[in-house]
Amino acid sequence: MTRGILGLVLRACVVLTGVALATFALLWNAPGDPALAIALARYDTVVPADVIDRVRVEAGLDGGFWAAFKGWVGPLMAGDLGRSSVTGRAVWPELAAAGSYTVPLAVAGLGIGLAISVPLAVIATRAPGGWTDRFAVALASLGAAVPAYWLGLLLILLFAVHLGWLPAMGARTRAHVILPALTLGLGVAASLTRIIRSGILEARGQQFLPALRRRGVSDRAIGRDHVVPHAAIPVVTVFGLELAFLLEGTVMVEVIFGRPGLGSFLVAAIAARDFPKVQAVVLLTALVFVVVNLLVDVVYRLIDPRIGERDA
Amino acid sequence: MRSVIALFGAFVLVAVFGPLVAPHDPSAINVPNRLSSPGAEWFLGTDALGRDILSRLLHGARWSLGLAFLVSVIGLLIGTLAGLAAALGGRLADWLVMRTTDTFLAFPDLVAAVVIAGLLGAGTGSLVLALSVTGWMRYARVARGIGLSLATRGYVLQAKLAGMSPLAIARWHYLPSLLPSLTVVWTGMFARAILGISALGFLGFGVQPPLPEWGTMLLDARIHMLSTPLQMIWPGLAVVVCVLVINLAGDALRDALAERDDPA
Repeated sequence: MTRGILGLVLRACVVLTGVALATFALLWNAPGDPALAIALARYDTVVPADVIDRVRVEAGLDGGFWAAFKGWVGPLMAGDLGRSSVTGRAVWPELAAAGSYTVPLAVAGLGIGLAISVPLAVIATRAPGGWTDRFAVALASLGAAVPAYWLGLLLILLFAVHLGWLPAMGARTRAHVILPALTLGLGVAASLTRIIRSGILEARGQQFLPALRRRGVSDRAIGRDHVVPHAAIPVVTVFGLELAFLLEGTVMVEVIFGRPGLGSFLVAAIAARDFPKVQAVVLLTALVFVVVNLLVDVVYRLIDPRIGERDA
Repeated sequence: MRSVIALFGAFVLVAVFGPLVAPHDPSAINVPNRLSSPGAEWFLGTDALGRDILSRLLHGARWSLGLAFLVSVIGLLIGTLAGLAAALGGRLADWLVMRTTDTFLAFPDLVAAVVIAGLLGAGTGSLVLALSVTGWMRYARVARGIGLSLATRGYVLQAKLAGMSPLAIARWHYLPSLLPSLTVVWTGMFARAILGISALGFLGFGVQPPLPEWGTMLLDARIHMLSTPLQMIWPGLAVVVCVLVINLAGDALRDALAERDDPA
């Protein structure tokens, strides 16, 4: 067991190294001279060649890929994300400020998603194949096909323009989070409903359930002690997958609603070719994803020790 | 199942022949008729430059569906090769391929695609590259999983003992068993690619105007959302209907395969 978990941690470390390398290589190989891009972003005019060379040395870009990679990873290990190549300010505080808008949005979106999908899946599985079940599956299929940016625009049209109930753009008040969170939450609900539904159905199909029933265990007790733990396993796994959905969902939603946050931060950084900022966001999202999935794998093994044996 | 496949075929027909039946030139600018409501002449209305929206949607199918097809097939090829290499190439190859797959999976698709397309410069080429690079991992996992389970089958062992090369085994014994499952994965990835292409188009990193890609059209329409909300409805609806039908076709295919393998 401990050995299995150690193996998972080791694997996560390998993946994180790969993530850092891939992030850096991507920006290193982006077309155009990075030193020129930095110089242009900083001085915003025609830049003489000696200034570009000075910028190149300053930014540690003169020693080739591996030297530059080392110069970037070294401080990174200490938690230093470097400085914006445009403004020269440290990236970390700005990133944290952007994150303080994204995290509540993601949490609210996940909350709405759970609040819709769990009851829907429970009601649907009462009579598999019945009309409530078909309705839930149809709703989930439809939800999975609706792109977040379109749904967001439709919600703005309905609630902000026609009804005038809710604010749409920006993040000035608490009410500003409602429409973005709803956009995100409906998408989350669509995928969660399907997964929770099949989790419950699979748990119900377990062969020991009829045996329990014949022994006179009540339906309620069977549900609580046997069906729920079984259904929990896919839900835990999905939590890791859903996180990726939340991360990319927030990018779109923030752009549509003109809301500050990691998504807007990323899109602005790409437009300005501010490489340290782009690297920071990409690395952060990948780090969150890897760590959460590591935790999911560990929890998974704690719930069901058979999983580790099957892998080995 | 049949009706879904028929619908799916209808989309292919629209993507291929749609431009031929489009009533107007999709890029013909007609400023006096700008932002007109749906009517007899302009069936779905016109956009801010007076271009016919129906014609743009029909031509746009080529971009939105055609590029998504291309991206999903490139992903299928890369992923299948990677998965087979992992399953057949020994422990080191397996480790390398699977850790690379994990690494690529660690980046949320859309975030990575936005970064790649944004850094390479907006355009159709970088769009295809960005979505292909981020869209092969699921195929690789499925191909490897099935490949590993095949390795212990009698006929594969016999082929190995008879001196058949790994390449020939991959071609004649693995590929036929992989195809059904990979087709199911492909339908899902095709739908994802449609969403990805229109998302990047909407963010301004994808197909560039004046080309009539659906996400790009939506970006245009957004500015006039308050005066002509209908203009914004159509491209989004096109995406939803296509993705829905493709997903349903994938579900139907998966169920049919499950029934064939395990007739209850």
